[in-house]
Amino acid sequence: MTRRRNLAVALVFLGPALAAVVLLRMWPAGLAIHDSLLAPRATTYSLENYRYLFADPLFLKSLRVTLTYVVIVNPLQVAAALALALLVNASFPLVGLWRTLIFLPVAIPQSVSAVVWAVGYRPDGPLNAVLVSLGIGQQPFLTSPDQALASLILMVSWIGVGYWMTFLLAGLQDIPQSLLEAARVDGATAWQRFRYVTLPLMRRPLTFVLVANTVANFLVFAPVKILTQGGPRGSTNLIMNEIYTRAFSAGDPSSAAAATVILVTTLLLIVTIQFWLLRSSAESQS
Amino acid sequence: MSRRARPFNAPARRWRSALTAFIALIFMLPLWWVAISALRPEAEIFRYLSPLSWQTLLPTQLTADHFVQLWQGSFRLAIFNSMLVAAVTLVLGLFVCSIAAFALAVIDFPGRRFVFPIMVVSFLIPFDAIAVPLLGIVRRMDLQNTYIALILPGIGNGLAVFLLRQFFLGIPKDLLEAARVDGLGWFGIYRQIYLPLSVPALISAGLILFVFQWQAYLWPLLVAPATEYKVGAVAIAQMSDPYLTNNGPVFAAALCLSLIPMLVLTIFQRNYIASVATTGGKG
Repeated sequence: MTRRRNLAVALVFLGPALAAVVLLRMWPAGLAIHDSLLAPRATTYSLENYRYLFADPLFLKSLRVTLTYVVIVNPLQVAAALALALLVNASFPLVGLWRTLIFLPVAIPQSVSAVVWAVGYRPDGPLNAVLVSLGIGQQPFLTSPDQALASLILMVSWIGVGYWMTFLLAGLQDIPQSLLEAARVDGATAWQRFRYVTLPLMRRPLTFVLVANTVANFLVFAPVKILTQGGPRGSTNLIMNEIYTRAFSAGDPSSAAAATVILVTTLLLIVTIQFWLLRSSAESQS
Repeated sequence: MSRRARPFNAPARRWRSALTAFIALIFMLPLWWVAISALRPEAEIFRYLSPLSWQTLLPTQLTADHFVQLWQGSFRLAIFNSMLVAAVTLVLGLFVCSIAAFALAVIDFPGRRFVFPIMVVSFLIPFDAIAVPLLGIVRRMDLQNTYIALILPGIGNGLAVFLLRQFFLGIPKDLLEAARVDGLGWFGIYRQIYLPLSVPALISAGLILFVFQWQAYLWPLLVAPATEYKVGAVAIAQMSDPYLTNNGPVFAAALCLSLIPMLVLTIFQRNYIASVATTGGKG
């Protein structure tokens, strides 16, 4: 009886959040699936849009660029974040200030960072000025098909590495000092302590950072839209920009919907794998 | 904060300290350059780049011209829009998320087992990934270029709900029983017992909501392109043209849009990271 009465109260309390879930997640996701199954001017469901996408060299190139980008940027950022976390996991003067400074770029909206780096990458901009003064010579950066993706990676890493570092630092600080001390007493070298004590105990934060970072990198949009619009010659056309272009510039919402479904499915799979990995690691630890 | 038991030997410690400082300053360099470019006259911005000199990084003349110019243009409205959207999101979002989290954590109702996983799975879809199809729905409702459309996506935030639910679960149930005996209703329990005990979690959730809106770019670009509703993150991208000669106001705008979240996050950084780490890692 009370539980039944509780149900009414709970529904009222949950109402706005449930409405948000339906309106902002389920409905658009459902709509994307629906639209993706309807070919332009068709009235019956088919996989036509998907067939079309996977035969379209532009989409295939975008997939290739996105996968290349994700495969390079994730290990790079996680390794850099771990290195930084190990570096700042110590006590010396001002270490708190240095940590904050490394973390701060993530607070800036990505579109603002993109605008600033666009000026930075100019032929007469500060980055080229440094390169010239080092005797390396001017680089084209964003205007070169060979350098644009790397330039993008440098920029998003400046944004993200400090953010991921803070999670790994929290993980490092959770490692019982006595374990490292015991290993030291047993004569383990610094590398052995890292490899056999620190790294296994960092599995949880590392998994979380790797997955959250992968999802974030699949969704990178503002820097591409602002810095390169996907060019030059499609070399930075990441999946979000491809979907945006299809939907709004190319006027092809059906194939944009199919690409959205592919993206969302991929992301959900990645997150599910995370839950599975974290669950099994929790079980093996307990 | 560090719990290192043994001190380093002195030279190694000094090297490590120096290396950390060097890296941190490299990370800050772009921001420093934004700040000095915003504050120095237009003609000075690119003047000291070749060759590099001490004046590259230290301005000799300071001016507020760029900020004045910005304040007289449409950017003033954009930054006002950003603040309004973030502020309303913060207030409404905290209410919606905390009361939902309260129902999920505290009220024992039939079906609770099902509601929670449904919310988890739905919120696992990142918002930006479904922004394009959502635009179709918002167009159908004729809500383009409204504050409602800008604010709405920020209100129901999965991370904030999970975080608050986790925190509420940790509040002893004895308090709940005592309040019920005293005749307090569910809303009274939420309002008078749970909320006052949850200030740290509410701050973290508030930061998540605020940062989400302040950073938003794709959704405002799609749904509110009209000048009256344009937010700062979109406006700055459209005022910049990397080959334009008038860079000063762009840097001034970048500084405004960066300083606000930087201040907020610096003050609450520990709170934010701890909360995201807990929910993300253990949720």
